[in-house]
Amino acid sequence: MSAPAAHDAPPAVLTEAQARRALPALNWLGTIVYAVIAVTVLLGLWEALIRIYQVPIWLVPKPTDFLARLVTDAPLLLEHAGVTATTIVLGFLLGVAVAVPAGFLIVSFGALERGLYPVIVFLNIMPKTVIGPILIVWFGIGPLVSVLIVFLMCFFPIMVDAMSGFRAVDPKLAYITRSMGATPLQELRHIRIPAAMPSIYAGMKIGIVKAVEGVIIAEFIASEAGLGFLIMRASSFMDLTLMFAGLIATALLALAVNAVLMSGERLLMPWARRPA
Amino acid sequence: MNALQPLRTATGSTRGASITAHNLTKVYGSGPSAFHALGPIDLDIAPGEFVSLIGPSGCGKSTTMLLVSGLEPVSDGSVAVDGRPLTAPISEVGIVFQDHLLLEFRTAMNNVMLQQQIRGLGRAEMRARADALFERLGLTGAEDRYPWQLSGGMRQRVSIARALVHDPTMLLMDEPFGALDAISRTQIRHDLEMLWMETKKTVLFITHSIEEAVGLSDRVLVMSTSPGRIVEEIRIDLPRPRPAHLGEYPEFSTYARRIFDIFEKLGVYRFK
Repeated sequence: MSAPAAHDAPPAVLTEAQARRALPALNWLGTIVYAVIAVTVLLGLWEALIRIYQVPIWLVPKPTDFLARLVTDAPLLLEHAGVTATTIVLGFLLGVAVAVPAGFLIVSFGALERGLYPVIVFLNIMPKTVIGPILIVWFGIGPLVSVLIVFLMCFFPIMVDAMSGFRAVDPKLAYITRSMGATPLQELRHIRIPAAMPSIYAGMKIGIVKAVEGVIIAEFIASEAGLGFLIMRASSFMDLTLMFAGLIATALLALAVNAVLMSGERLLMPWARRPA
Repeated sequence: MNALQPLRTATGSTRGASITAHNLTKVYGSGPSAFHALGPIDLDIAPGEFVSLIGPSGCGKSTTMLLVSGLEPVSDGSVAVDGRPLTAPISEVGIVFQDHLLLEFRTAMNNVMLQQQIRGLGRAEMRARADALFERLGLTGAEDRYPWQLSGGMRQRVSIARALVHDPTMLLMDEPFGALDAISRTQIRHDLEMLWMETKKTVLFITHSIEEAVGLSDRVLVMSTSPGRIVEEIRIDLPRPRPAHLGEYPEFSTYARRIFDIFEKLGVYRFK
């Protein structure tokens, strides 16, 4: 998509090696330029249509309206985004901390796997948000319910992928490690955990998307802070511009959380195959 | 070659072990679904001998290897290494499979050094051995590469280095070159022979390839299927190192023919 930008680079000025080094940067820049142009055109069209047909602001706000709110209400949005981010991080970390050992235990004990399989299938297919009202009864409105819903949302994808990761070790490799006299703990530390890391991480990437989804729903129903709560409250005041601003803030937060996870991947798995 | 550190001091001086097996039998499972995979067979492998097991798929070659190293329990019979009866997996062994089985999250050198970490051996000493092996196996410069950055032949060389770095008394190889291209296979076969001539480990080499068996072995044991049995023993009297192009020896085709004829007689090959 961004190839033209690269071709536009004057070839005579750069040596081939320089060009090759510059190419990713140019591609990256090109991608951003294209994205900005596309978004600007789209928002411009939106703005124009609203103005031409004089749609009232309480029905559909103009981009200029809600983009302005993003600036004027920045402190408010940031405050609630902070609450939402904290909830995501806590629920997600709790999910990883429970799902990975649980996946390992289930894979390690065949009886556990056979016994728990129907339960796992049932809980995995059940929409986790239906537990929300039950949790409210147990814990009341507050941050704990949101954290628990986020935990439940990301728990299963992480556990299922961790299980396949722990299973993936070639049984022939066990012959080699056994000939080395490896203890079960050594095998876990040197082989099984690092071997399962890519799968666990794949599960975490699905889990974080679920976590963001879960946190907003949780804040809709069971919270007095956070972006979900802010949007819900704005809705009861018919403050559509703030709702749109909240929507954008939520998307930006999701992007940020994803970016953190992606950079963590490079840090934790330096061996991973990466395009040169 | 003179510039290199002598491998026998670099990688230790443990000689090969003798392997004897009597009435070796393996039955997988029990009851009506039991599968008689091997035996009974007898083995008598001298210290430092290079012995190949050749035969069609399912003749119990790999099973034999797992039994003599104690990695699988015997159903019947006994194994002794250096005269000592085997009761648990022996650790004085290096194993190479057809799949390189390198850990993708470790560099080539760290894959080899896994032996040092798990066995708790001296780091500096083992690193020196690993370096010598890397040099001998043409892996110098590949130390910090991850398996996916290496060619199939190089991965298998790393796998051989891992099997030798702790100075074992025997080397078990289960079709180690089976997944390689013909050119790599010829080269790695030669390199293995040179390494073996220097270290004199006892090698049990499992293969489907008549050329590999005759090209490498002191002795070839031809096996048949269901249950796996040794049907013929062929001593290969060819000078070493053997040339890459084995056709230079007229005796080579005689040996190859003999194995081929056994295969035909056993019904491994059916030509019309």
